[in-house]
Amino acid sequence: MTFTGAIGAACMFPLRAIIRACVALRIHPNVLTLVGVFINFVAAWFFAQGEFVTAGFVMLVANIFDFIDGKVAEATNLASRFGGFWDSVMDRFSDLSLFIGVIYLYAQLGRTDYVMIAAFAMMFSVMTSYTRARAESMIDKCKVGFMERPERIVLVMIGAFTNRMGAVLWVILVLSIVTVLDRIYFTWRALKTQEAAS
Amino acid sequence: MTMQRLLTLPARAVWHALFWTFERATWQYDLMVIAILAFVWLTPPDWIGDPTASGPGLIGIVLEWFR
Repeated sequence: MTFTGAIGAACMFPLRAIIRACVALRIHPNVLTLVGVFINFVAAWFFAQGEFVTAGFVMLVANIFDFIDGKVAEATNLASRFGGFWDSVMDRFSDLSLFIGVIYLYAQLGRTDYVMIAAFAMMFSVMTSYTRARAESMIDKCKVGFMERPERIVLVMIGAFTNRMGAVLWVILVLSIVTVLDRIYFTWRALKTQEAAS
Repeated sequence: MTMQRLLTLPARAVWHALFWTFERATWQYDLMVIAILAFVWLTPPDWIGDPTASGPGLIGIVLEWFR
């Protein structure tokens, strides 16, 4: 087993208990999604105050909700197409709010350079999701590129807990640009193949 | 492994790192995670002008020893 696989398996132990509790309490998965977004707003507020460690802990709680909503939906047979749409839309609110919190902090500190780095990281994070969603309306799958949402979230939490947000923003920015380019190239190639076949 | 494949190995490694198609929990994913964490934790915050980080980072500490 790889070490990232082992970490994932270890994290699943407490999460399974939380999922079971939510299923037993018959909590609707869409409510869990919404609660996760509101908790992320709180994390963004802590980021804006420069309280990174608190923001990291709040993010951890928010992302438990974010992670379990789909599993609870499956376990309670409440999985729906609207649920998938709702989850994607709420994810964008969560992502953007966290970046806004960090941008607000850097603006307060008078660091225009890091305001721009965070703003571009935000732009390419949104484009990462958009390129895949748009591509998959034309081709079967567009799951290429490293920097997807789970990687981004874990990185921001690492940056918050270890006080290395600057380096984390650089990584998110560079790898998000690469991921968007990957998806554009992959879609171009797939559409060309489709056209050649028809 | 043929000589030609061996010679093109670095180029292929760079291509696969950039045009990422690997799943999570593979050895390639682990390697990428290690590289990212090394950059985040080892780079001295001064080098990238991090406005909020405190402390010199691991590379900074090591460089201090040699000064």
